[in-house]
Amino acid sequence: MRANDKITQNMDWPLFVCYILLVSMGLMTVYSTAFDPDHPNFFDFSQKYGKQVLWVAVSLFLGLLVFLIDSSIYRKFAVPIYLFTLFLLVVVLFMPAINGAHAWLGFGSFGIQPAEFAKIGTALLLSSYVSNVNMNMQSVKTVVLSNAIILVPMVLVILQPDAGTLIVFTSFLFVLYREGMSYDPIVLKITNLIPGIKFKQTWIGTHFIPILFYVVMLCVITLLVSNNTFNLFFIEGLAVSGIVGVLFSLALIGVLVYLLLGRLASRRQKKQAFIVVLIAFTLSSALAMSVNSLFQGLAPHQKDRIELVLGLNEDQDGADYNRNRAMAAVGSGGTFGKGYTKASLSSVQSNHVPESETDFIFCPFAEEWGFFGSLFLIAVYIFMLLRIILIAERQRSRYYRIYAYSVGMILFYHFAINIGMNIGFAPVIGIPLPFFSYGGSSMMSFSILLFILLKLDSQRRDILY
Amino acid sequence: MNFDSRKIVIITFIVSIGLLYAFRLFYMQVIDDTWTLRAQEIAEKRKEITPPRGVIFDRNGKKVVSNQTYYNLMMVEADIEKLDTAAFAKLIGWTEQDVKDRFEQIRVGEGTFYNRHTKKRTSNYQKVRAYPFLKELTLEEIAEIAPHLGQFPGFYEEVTSMRKYPYRGGANILGYLAEVNREDIDKEPYYRPGDNMGRAGIERFYEKELRGQKGVKYIVTSALNNALEPFADGKYDTTARQSDPMKLGLDIILQAYGEKLMQNKKGCIVAIEPSSGEILAMVSAPSYDPNLLVGKRNIGINYPKLVMDPNKPLYPRPVASEYPPGSIFKLVQALVALEEGVIDVNTGFPCNKSLVGCHNHAPPSDVMKAVQYSCNPYFYQTTRRIIQQGKKKNTFEDAEIGLSIWAKYMHSFGLGETLGTDITGQRPGRIPDVAYYDKWYGHHQWAFSTIRSNSIGQGEVALSPLQMANLGVIIANKGWFYTPHFVKEIGNSGPLPGFDVKRYSKVESKHFLPVIEGMRRVVNESGGTGRQARMTDVVVCGKTGTVQNPHGKDHSVFLAFAPMDKPKIVIAVFVENAGFGGTWAAPIANLMIEQYLKGKVTDLAKEKRIVEAKLSNIL
Repeated sequence: MRANDKITQNMDWPLFVCYILLVSMGLMTVYSTAFDPDHPNFFDFSQKYGKQVLWVAVSLFLGLLVFLIDSSIYRKFAVPIYLFTLFLLVVVLFMPAINGAHAWLGFGSFGIQPAEFAKIGTALLLSSYVSNVNMNMQSVKTVVLSNAIILVPMVLVILQPDAGTLIVFTSFLFVLYREGMSYDPIVLKITNLIPGIKFKQTWIGTHFIPILFYVVMLCVITLLVSNNTFNLFFIEGLAVSGIVGVLFSLALIGVLVYLLLGRLASRRQKKQAFIVVLIAFTLSSALAMSVNSLFQGLAPHQKDRIELVLGLNEDQDGADYNRNRAMAAVGSGGTFGKGYTKASLSSVQSNHVPESETDFIFCPFAEEWGFFGSLFLIAVYIFMLLRIILIAERQRSRYYRIYAYSVGMILFYHFAINIGMNIGFAPVIGIPLPFFSYGGSSMMSFSILLFILLKLDSQRRDILY
Repeated sequence: MNFDSRKIVIITFIVSIGLLYAFRLFYMQVIDDTWTLRAQEIAEKRKEITPPRGVIFDRNGKKVVSNQTYYNLMMVEADIEKLDTAAFAKLIGWTEQDVKDRFEQIRVGEGTFYNRHTKKRTSNYQKVRAYPFLKELTLEEIAEIAPHLGQFPGFYEEVTSMRKYPYRGGANILGYLAEVNREDIDKEPYYRPGDNMGRAGIERFYEKELRGQKGVKYIVTSALNNALEPFADGKYDTTARQSDPMKLGLDIILQAYGEKLMQNKKGCIVAIEPSSGEILAMVSAPSYDPNLLVGKRNIGINYPKLVMDPNKPLYPRPVASEYPPGSIFKLVQALVALEEGVIDVNTGFPCNKSLVGCHNHAPPSDVMKAVQYSCNPYFYQTTRRIIQQGKKKNTFEDAEIGLSIWAKYMHSFGLGETLGTDITGQRPGRIPDVAYYDKWYGHHQWAFSTIRSNSIGQGEVALSPLQMANLGVIIANKGWFYTPHFVKEIGNSGPLPGFDVKRYSKVESKHFLPVIEGMRRVVNESGGTGRQARMTDVVVCGKTGTVQNPHGKDHSVFLAFAPMDKPKIVIAVFVENAGFGGTWAAPIANLMIEQYLKGKVTDLAKEKRIVEAKLSNIL
């Protein structure tokens, strides 16, 4: 055991430097974006940049606290912390709605968003639960409980409603995936009901992340072609609707895969391959058809958003106003940018890009610093995420690893969705860019999340499991 | 089980997203400039300030064309909140449907923009831009509306200016303005939808000079279309500049008087100051009040009426009509014959009515008398000598040589070609030449006898009244002229290029003297055909013309200048289907000359007779 004489001892400096870099760039961008000529002082607390400076200071102070407090409490009090954040999520539902969502818990003139802190509670509980020594990742109980830990806050969040945070909670699935959790205990119960089938393992259950990816891609493709018609066999007059085209393609792929498998395997395996392909085809078709019919049944504004992201529709000044303005701002930055404080589209004053200091803060940054600036920012985030994965993988303790993955995946989701919506790759989902966007709750919650990770990592040698 | 390899899946996700975003950003920011254009479209606006058009003065400093303040009711759709269509329609005195239609009209009227990157057409209409909802409201009209605009956010008034013609005269000279159409904008990007441009007359000819210089302000605007800051600190901005005042050679009082004399008649008066070539008056009858075509609303109401009017008030007769000149053409024939030497001053011909009809008069024993009596057989024989000079034995070949010589003379008088006057709608008239008759009759198939009618200004020859007046200028100046023109100067520019060059006819100065003497006798001696133009104290020289035509009664023509020794005004009067030249055209010329030289008219009885006359061909 080493003496803990210095709080920064064993701290992972590269990760901390990334944090400081992102926070500084964020502060700088908030200052440039929200700049008010009447209040040029960076520390003017009546302005957003002044407030953000305050939030950063508070966050650093919280980080210091995290380092001073004995890290074992997070594990000890995982359940109370989790329940407390759930309690806040319930309380917030009775708060007056701001912009149509019950997301803010008011403390005088300041408010916090409990949803941001619920991520911390969930990450801590999930880590401590899944890292139990006697944990059997293959049991029904484990699957149900670990998913329940994620699902309860998700339900509360969607009641606000806050679709962005809801989606972010699915990042924990990556964590469970990494820990080898399988949905097989449940999936097998269903599949084995079918007479003549007895699986020991299913792809859906074990490889649920790649399967999820396949599902999402299939959904996107189905939506893309759902309004088109195709000429079957390229014959004029044999026009079929898009969904029929998708099913036809799936069948074609299924046959090809089966033929390919059939050449390589024995008779028994052949039979198995046939069943697998048949099930895959059936499930895929069912999914494509239900997506198709669900999409047609969506509320018009939701349908609009999806159509806009997929490029099925164009409505620059209407439903696609935000995205169009954001993309114009990013794209007009050019190679070297317009220069600091020179953003003409995304400054708060010009107001072309809405929420340009919070959810769309990438716009002013990309507009002012151009491609090289944006590339640098992306690089810092990617480096940070990979660094977190590296930190996670070097833990002796499974608990620490799960927590590190939770942090990494939450940040990855925020990064991917936020930047994605700024460059037209994701629908407009209101979630902040970590360490960058203006806002106290997100700054504090992300900082606590990261500082706990830094603290745990610094003590990685002190712990055995 | 060991699931460590699953970290690879996760790392792959992270790295792929990073690479995907990097490539996407590279495409958006470095390669594709759609977004740069889109950003300019959104945030950087050119704000154009259109200056009022140049003011136009006449030769005596009287304001002929001025500007008057009007108001546009502007609309910004993005600022409109829950428009109470019924109340708004009531405020502007429209029906609700009208208001809805107008919105649609503005939207559609902006046209579409083809984006070559997305291959899609988008409307140019933008909700955040200001568009005129109602144009050209008078002070009284806007005063009714403006106080209530507070209830209708998104609407506001804006000052604009329109033309005003205080003298109500000179419509065919001044022209009018109308909104530019798509074609104009495509041709010249200077214009924006809603701009006006000169459509006829001086307004059109001097469009570039009169429109001044638009000011352009490049500004960065916010989403609410508020100007935020000048773009690039105003480096590219220019200020709006109204053009310098334009000074015409026109005498607006004389012009108005001419229009009064010509009321209820068809025809023209063209008056030119011979020493400068400045057009003093150019009456086209019937005409219209230029104020009728001011502004979109007026044009909408009045233009169709004017176009449909069978009397063709929009037609600029003095420059666009091509009439046979009649007997005034004898003056040119005499000049050419003298210069060619086929006659001399004292050459006489018998008034042989078997050649061509004539009235009874004393024998034309010299050029002066021939002009005085306007003897048809005399000029028949004179012209025959010009055409058939005996240079070839074959009559047809001889006529070909003669006619080509004659045509060259005619062109030197500015006939058969447009003069280059600064007004739109000019036509060249017609001087028939060898090619013309060859086409008509065949090569060497014609001789003087075929084309003889031209000798007395009938037949194929045709002149515009402006050319007739210019002929008078050449005679008054004894051989030269400045291109007749309207604009004296713009600001302090002095005569405009092209209008300060003397142009000479091919006839020597001395040959003009007998012709002028003949013209003096026409007006001042017994037996002259233009006695109606005589003045007691000023020597007027003139020549009548009576033009036979297939459309009814003869046209009455008179060409005159005065005073004889120092001509100050040349005037050509052409009254369609009025009869003998001495009866109508001569007294009109007389009144005009008196008005111009003395500033008032003494023979009120004569004036009354002319003003009250209503000729039968007016519909």
